[in-house]
Amino acid sequence: MIQKTIIQISDVSFSYPGKQALFTNISIALKKGCFYIINGPSGGGKSSLLRLINRLEEPTRGQILFNGRPLSSYHPPLLRKQILYIQQTPSVIDGRIRENLLLPFTFKSNKGLAKPDDKMLLTLLKDFRLDGIHLDDHAQNLSVGQLQRLCFIRGLLLSPELILLDEPTSALDDESSRIVESKAEELCLALDKTVLMISHRKFKPEKIVPDLLHVADGRVTENKWNPAS
Amino acid sequence: MESGIIDIGLGQLALGLLFILIAGSASLYHSLKLEKDLLTGTARTFAQLFLLGYVLKFLFDIEDYRLVLSVFSFMILFAAWTIYGRVKEKQISFFLPVFLSMMLSFFFISFMVTAVIVGVKPWWKPQYFIPLGGMVIGNSMNAIAIALERFLKELRTNRHEIEMKLCLGADYKEASHETLKNAMRAGMIPSINSMMAVGIVFIPGMMTGQILAGADPMTAIRYQIVIMVMIVGATALGTLFVVLLVRKRCFSQGHQLLLRPENR
Repeated sequence: MIQKTIIQISDVSFSYPGKQALFTNISIALKKGCFYIINGPSGGGKSSLLRLINRLEEPTRGQILFNGRPLSSYHPPLLRKQILYIQQTPSVIDGRIRENLLLPFTFKSNKGLAKPDDKMLLTLLKDFRLDGIHLDDHAQNLSVGQLQRLCFIRGLLLSPELILLDEPTSALDDESSRIVESKAEELCLALDKTVLMISHRKFKPEKIVPDLLHVADGRVTENKWNPAS
Repeated sequence: MESGIIDIGLGQLALGLLFILIAGSASLYHSLKLEKDLLTGTARTFAQLFLLGYVLKFLFDIEDYRLVLSVFSFMILFAAWTIYGRVKEKQISFFLPVFLSMMLSFFFISFMVTAVIVGVKPWWKPQYFIPLGGMVIGNSMNAIAIALERFLKELRTNRHEIEMKLCLGADYKEASHETLKNAMRAGMIPSINSMMAVGIVFIPGMMTGQILAGADPMTAIRYQIVIMVMIVGATALGTLFVVLLVRKRCFSQGHQLLLRPENR
């Protein structure tokens, strides 16, 4: 079976204003339904690559296609709910857990989506081992690990096609990390989502065989996953 | 009613300099190093106000609406320039939006006051339009500077939260709504507060002037009320336009926040 390309990066160069180039003419095709692990030295552009893919940054040259169409041909809010980017540091609004989980549904671009009820939210929280938490609790009182999972759930409510995880486990304890990672694997395996995950720590996938993207020195190289490395 | 105001002669004016001498000696005695500023300040006060006096006299004599509107525009240009100097923002240019929104909102408010509320004929009569317009400009200028400063600062500090919202499908307006609200509030609160304190904590300058000129206090307070509500209106309209226009410049077409953290 030929796998469809979900993201096509063609000849992309990128630099932050007034800084030297971070990427020079990178080209790479990412396949639908695959699980990619991104590694490389810090400052090498791992996060910037993800930010380019969901159009938080604009390439200085070249173009990126999502499902065969240039990113710029999508209305940005509609693009970003399909290409979900989860930030490295979880960010919540000042409010209760429920408000935070339902935040995306207050935006115009998500008006057509069915709003989940409390029962569904509680099931999801339980799924991510956040059972002790009430929907009326204040989000500010959660630990970083819990917040990261909360942000993950919040993003998944939009049923994105492509999930970009920016080092989701950097601030997490082992248990939280494992939950997030195994959920990400599950999404890829069971729901055919494409996942790109930046990972520093030794991540041992249990169910999937990932591809490796190495980001360094202005390039992105694709490698086979070597579990021994 | 007697309307003659006692004139201040040049000699008496010079006598007023005694107050500056008092301030100067205090500065010298305690080495506050303010003598130079005091001197320039005094010189500028004299020069600027004398100049203003001549300009106003000229305007009142000529009575030409083109001239009145030019002076009004010049005052706004100067106010916009002052804001530009005060708000330290180098990544986006905001002079033009500030100037245009000030022109639009201040002209509208000043026109409403002279033409509709006070009922001056013609509406641009310089004795009314210039001082009233000047008060609108002067007071709202501060509000706009405060709102703008707050807005740009918060866009930077809340970058993470704004991008989080963008990532969840918010457009740039939704993502920055909270920031816009805070900035508008910060700009408007001082003029609302002064409505609370007026007449109890302070007697406003305009009213003082009218009373000294022999006006009935009941007339003076009516003018003052008009001034106060006019300032609140101009502040609201001015900050809203400015912040909306500047916000547009802070985001790209791709709904990306263009303001970078200072170190990146």
